[in-house]
Amino acid sequence: MSAQVFVLYFAKSVELTGVKEEGSVAVPTPISSRDLWRLLLQRHPRLSLLQDQVVLAVRQQYVAIGDQVVTLGDGDEVAVVPPLSGG
Amino acid sequence: MSKSEERRDIFKLSRDWLSVQEVVDAVSSTSCGAVSIFIGATREDEVGGRRVIGLEYEAYELMAQSEFSKLCDDIRARWPTVTHVCVHHRLGWVKVGEASVVMAISSPHRHDGQQAIWHCIEQLKANLPIWKKEVYDTQEASWKENAECPWSFQKKVPPAASPGENV
Repeated sequence: MSAQVFVLYFAKSVELTGVKEEGSVAVPTPISSRDLWRLLLQRHPRLSLLQDQVVLAVRQQYVAIGDQVVTLGDGDEVAVVPPLSGG
Repeated sequence: MSKSEERRDIFKLSRDWLSVQEVVDAVSSTSCGAVSIFIGATREDEVGGRRVIGLEYEAYELMAQSEFSKLCDDIRARWPTVTHVCVHHRLGWVKVGEASVVMAISSPHRHDGQQAIWHCIEQLKANLPIWKKEVYDTQEASWKENAECPWSFQKKVPPAASPGENV
């Protein structure tokens, strides 16, 4: 199965990709967060500079990059989340 | 607290200068003898010979709001007497000396409020999807990383021994 999702980029990842938002992107579902990250790396290879210092957010929930499997639906937001620096 | 007074959790992202009075007023209650406040201000750091002139903030706004709600639930679970919570955070350009974040928590007595305000800034730094870029007087900039954030400052895998070494 496939879902059409919106991908949001923040902070350093905006500078690496040149975009703040992509929509919509076709993504297989269900998918591991590692495979989801690899899919984004294929679209924007410079994201590899964030390797090991990034997580994703799916429907506004943090997901570490690894074996966790997520189910995506049309219109879902996926975000690239570099290390936080609020406050 | 009178039964009719509903507990408030207020979060605002603002491109304008923050008003401490507004944040304090948002948590005031006749049932509360204590208002605990934290203000985070932009510091004029010197980093490698470059001077910080300001910070540029951005946020995943929808998620910052939902993470704030979870943070308030956490605060209330730990300190049930906490009455109202208000956090205002800047977006966009914040020059040195200005407040980046103002937070206030009201409670009947000061102990819980003081503990809660400390926890609030710690957890905001660890969990809210907000980012800041330091801008220097050289016009360079760099994205900051909070030590509180679990995915920053990751330890790198130690390099393998070089081929010449007899390991």
